[in-house]
Amino acid sequence: MTPAARDQLRLWLRQVTTLARVEVGRRLFGRGAIAIYILALLPLAIALPRLLFMGGRLRSDLGQHTAEFAEAFHYFILLFVVFFACATVFVRLIKGEVAERSLHYLLLAPLKRPVLVVGKYLGGLVATLLVLLPMTVLSFVLFYLPMGPSATWQFVSSSPGLGQLAGYLAIVILACTGYGAIFLLFGLLWRNPGVASMLLLGWEYLVPFLPAPLKIVSVAHHLQSLSPVPVPHGIFALLATPTPPWLAVLGLLAFTVVLLGLGSLAARRLEITYASE
Amino acid sequence: MSGATDRIVFHDVSKFYGEVLGVKRVSLEIPPGLTGLVGPNGSGKSTLMHLTSGLLRPSRGEVSVLGISPSRPEQLFPLVGYCTQYDTFPAGATGLGFLTMALALHGRDRADAREQAWKVIEQVGMTDAARRRIAGYSKGMRQRIKLAHALAHSPQVLILDEPLNGLDPMARSEMIALMRHLAEAGRHVIVSSHILDELNQASDQVIMIHGGSVLAEGEIPKVRGEITRHPIQVLIRCDKVHALAARIFALEHVVEAKMLAEGEGLLVRTKDADGFLTSLNRMVLEAGIVVETVAPADDTVNAVYEYLIGGDGGGS
Repeated sequence: MTPAARDQLRLWLRQVTTLARVEVGRRLFGRGAIAIYILALLPLAIALPRLLFMGGRLRSDLGQHTAEFAEAFHYFILLFVVFFACATVFVRLIKGEVAERSLHYLLLAPLKRPVLVVGKYLGGLVATLLVLLPMTVLSFVLFYLPMGPSATWQFVSSSPGLGQLAGYLAIVILACTGYGAIFLLFGLLWRNPGVASMLLLGWEYLVPFLPAPLKIVSVAHHLQSLSPVPVPHGIFALLATPTPPWLAVLGLLAFTVVLLGLGSLAARRLEITYASE
Repeated sequence: MSGATDRIVFHDVSKFYGEVLGVKRVSLEIPPGLTGLVGPNGSGKSTLMHLTSGLLRPSRGEVSVLGISPSRPEQLFPLVGYCTQYDTFPAGATGLGFLTMALALHGRDRADAREQAWKVIEQVGMTDAARRRIAGYSKGMRQRIKLAHALAHSPQVLILDEPLNGLDPMARSEMIALMRHLAEAGRHVIVSSHILDELNQASDQVIMIHGGSVLAEGEIPKVRGEITRHPIQVLIRCDKVHALAARIFALEHVVEAKMLAEGEGLLVRTKDADGFLTSLNRMVLEAGIVVETVAPADDTVNAVYEYLIGGDGGGS
C-alpha cells in the first residue's frame, strides 16, 4: 500500500469513527432515544409476569422454557422489538438530520458519501446493539428463572444454555445488520418510509407461508436457519430447505453491503431543501 | 467548462425546485476578493450559494470552484467554508463540541481538532460560552459559532449567507473588518445580503440578482457607469452656491440642479459625468468657490439595483 493510500484510509477511518461516535451518543441519549428503550422493555414486560405467575408444575420444565423462549424470541423479540428498534434508529440516521435541519453540516464536510453512509450506519448499529443485546440476555434469563436462580445459572452458564444464548445474540446482531441497512436505505429514498416499513414487516411475518423461491428474499428466513431451537410455524407453513448457517451469514452480510452501496448512491443525490420537507 | 483554478465559475446554470424557478441561466466568474451578492429575499442568493457548495445540484449547467466540481465534497470542502442561513445546529451540541466534531471530519485527531476549535472560538470571541449548549445561545452567538464553523479549517473560499443578521453594530463592524481582512489576504469571500446597501463600502465587486437572474456584476461605479439611460447624480457641498448654480445651469449636459436644504450645496444630474467634473473644476477656479465635497450620489448598490429593475434610483 502506498503512503498516499494509507493516509487516505486513515482519513476515512477517522471520519467513520467520528460519525459513528456522534451517532451512538445521539441515538442513546438524544431526542427520541426513549423509543428504543421502551421497545427494549417490552420483552421484559412479558417475561416478568410469566416469572411471577407461572404454575408450579411447569416451573422445572426446561423443554417448556426453551420452546416458549424460542417462540417469543422469533415472533416478538425478532420480528417486533428488533424490527421496530431498527426502524426507529436507522430511518432517523438521515431523516432525523433533515428534521433537525442539521444535515447540511455533514454535507459541508469533506466526506465521500459512502463514508458518510457507513459512519452513520455503524453508529446506528452500535447504538442498537448496546440496547438490544443486554435486553436479549435479560429476557433469556427471565424465561428460565422460574426454575430457580441456581438452576438458571447452571443452564445459562454452560452447554446447551450458553450455546443457545450465543445463537440468539448472533441472530440479533445479524438482524440489526440486515434490517439496519434496509431502514437506512428507506430513510434515504422516501420522505415517509412508514408504508414501506409496514409492507416489509408483513412480508417478514408471511415468510413461513411463502413458496421456497420467495423465502430467500427475506431477512427472517435466513435468520431462522441460525436459530438454536426450531420454531413451529403451524400447519399452513410451506417447508423449504433451510439455508446452511454459513451461507445465511455470508448472504446477509453481502445483502447489507449491497444495500449500503445503494444507500451511498442515494446519498450522492442528497440536496438541502429543508423548506420542502 | 473552464478549468479556472482561481475562480468560481457558473456556466449557464439553472436550478428549478419542481416547477419553481430558483435561478435561471446564470453565467458568472467570481475572482478572489470580497464579492457582495445582493438582492431582495427570494431573489435566488441562497440558491446560488447552495449551488456553489454542492448543497444543491444544478438542473442544468455546470459549477466549478477553483477548478473543482461541487459534486466532489472530499475535494471541495478542504477549500470551502460555508456559513449558511440556517439557524439550526445538531441537537444537544455545545459550541466547542460542534466545532471539534467538524474539524475531526476534516481528518484531525481529537486533540488537534479540539485545539484548533479553541483557536477559532477565541477568534470569534466565544470563549466564555464555548462549553455551553448552542441551544441556549443568543442569535448573535449562534451567528458567531456558524462563522467559526465556516472559518475553522482556514478555507480559501468563504461563503457567508446573510452573516450580518442578528449582529449588534459593534459585531457587524468587526465582521465586515474580518471579511475585508480575509479578502485582502487573497481569499474568495462571498457575502449575501438582502439589505442592498449593507455591503456598499466593503465589497470589491457585487453580483446583483433579481427573480433568479443576475442583473449585473462587477464594481459598483463601473456598473453604474454602464447604465446610460439614467443621468448620473453628483452631490456638491460648497460656499457661493448661487454663483455655482448659475454657471452649472449653462452646461449643455446638465439635466437638473437642485439646491440642498439650508443652501449648503447642490445636487446635479448630468448625462456626462466626466465632462461635468472637468467643467466643475474650471468653474470653481474661475469663481473662487470653496468646495467641501464632490461625490457621486447614486452609485450605491441600492440606487444601481433600482435602476436595473426599472426604478428611479431609490429617490436619491
